[in-house]
Amino acid sequence: MISGRFRLLPYQAGLFVALIAAWQIATRWGWVDPFFFSRPSNIAARIAEWFATGSIYRHLWTTALETVLAFLIGAGLGVLLGFAFARNPALSGVFDPYLKIANALPRVVLAPIFTLWFGLGVLSKVAFGVTLVFFIVFFNTYQGIREVDANLLNNTRMLGATERDLIRHVLLPSALVWILSSLHTSVGLALVGAVVGEYFGSARGLGYVIAQAEGTFDTTGVFAGMTVLAAFTIAVDMLVTLVERRLLAWKPAAAHAERA
Amino acid sequence: MGRAVRDLEVASDQTGPALALEEVSRQFAIAGGATYQALDRVSFAVARGEFLAIVGPTGCGKSTILSLAAGLLRPTSGRILSFNAPLERLNRQAAYLFQQDVLLPWKTALENVMLGPLLHRWPRGRAAEEARRWLARVGLAGFEDRFPHQLSGGMRKRVALAQSLIVGPAILLMDEPFSALDVQTRELMENDLLTLWQEERKTIVFVTHDLEEAIALSDRVLVLAAGPGTRVIGTHAITLPRPRDVTEVRLHPAFREVYRTIWAQLRGEVLRAYADQAGARARGGTA
Repeated sequence: MISGRFRLLPYQAGLFVALIAAWQIATRWGWVDPFFFSRPSNIAARIAEWFATGSIYRHLWTTALETVLAFLIGAGLGVLLGFAFARNPALSGVFDPYLKIANALPRVVLAPIFTLWFGLGVLSKVAFGVTLVFFIVFFNTYQGIREVDANLLNNTRMLGATERDLIRHVLLPSALVWILSSLHTSVGLALVGAVVGEYFGSARGLGYVIAQAEGTFDTTGVFAGMTVLAAFTIAVDMLVTLVERRLLAWKPAAAHAERA
Repeated sequence: MGRAVRDLEVASDQTGPALALEEVSRQFAIAGGATYQALDRVSFAVARGEFLAIVGPTGCGKSTILSLAAGLLRPTSGRILSFNAPLERLNRQAAYLFQQDVLLPWKTALENVMLGPLLHRWPRGRAAEEARRWLARVGLAGFEDRFPHQLSGGMRKRVALAQSLIVGPAILLMDEPFSALDVQTRELMENDLLTLWQEERKTIVFVTHDLEEAIALSDRVLVLAAGPGTRVIGTHAITLPRPRDVTEVRLHPAFREVYRTIWAQLRGEVLRAYADQAGARARGGTA
């Protein structure tokens, strides 16, 4: 599998070089207007400048902080409520339609409201990210708890487990599989929440950098911001993969491959 | 039978049976508000240290009987006694070996065997030590750190056996535990089970649809009628000499003889169950 992935590396790198070269040549020879499309060399220079002067770090830090907070709070609430609902059919029965409505709502419309309620700082982005992360984790926890193998529960009961023991030894580990399977999505959404929130109104963060550049028709800045954002997203995703590998070490390799 | 059990109840706890079902019936609600009568006034007792096998056609409620004896299900009517005490909740004297794989996939073999002791609040060190001893006893020394998916089906059953026996249950309820194993592994497991039973003198209730397995292992075979409304239609003492080797005991002349006797009784029920299922399929129901 690994060797198969690296076998394609020359082609992948070749495609990247060809696209960048075509972009560079097209803007250099005047086939497309660099005002609208910028130029790879300019973008690279801008990114280098950001990191050399250190001006980008506070934006990266802000976006990272918002992402982490949105994920932790959203996931925490999701696990807690998912668990409570799965264990109390009455509770889930009453709240079910409202959860469906809330989940059906396109969350982007909340961003301006949250800016109004929580201000231009970190808090409004976190709140927005939480609304995105919560539902993913909530539904997966709920499903994970509901689908626990009854035989596993009965066997553990027969071995002497109390209801609390069942939570610790069977229900939570079982739900964790579902929660982790949605980890890439939920962390990704926490990041989306942060960036979209910043885009709607803020004073710092990667979303702010991009919005700011757009406002001044600085296409180089827009593309540079997008590049940094993409690199940041990939780094976060790789981190998630590491965490997942560690927590699901007991899983058969085949299931890993399916998930990947 | 119910009367005999009631008489035993007066006797002291030292002499009563390990397990007794008195006129136990059990119904299940099924789709459309109807009820399905799984068991109809089933009565039998299992003596202490006895190896009882229960055979019957598929779907006759064998597993239901074990779940009732374990306290995982409550009877609709009738009474269940374990060591003369009416069963109110889970049967704390009993361990249950399920037909399915029930090891926790996120725990290693050692952690799975340690689960019972930890739930009984043993100190971790002692639990680990005992679990290692039990794993060695079922022939899995060196496999402590494997996860269930890294073990073969037979090995997983051995871990499950160690997991059940480590906390010292007086009764072992076994629900077709070896049915998913290949023939060779199965015979090895059966012999190992007999050895363990002879050493530990547990009471065993062993449910199976395999009559040969039932005879080879047990002291007594209980025959159940086809469902619905399963009843006990016969009990047969197996007097084959012990210790037994499950492969060799099948060649014993008395084995063939008792097999013929029980099969004559069981055959009609198997055919009836088969006809019912075929009829249900023909009517468009699911068998």
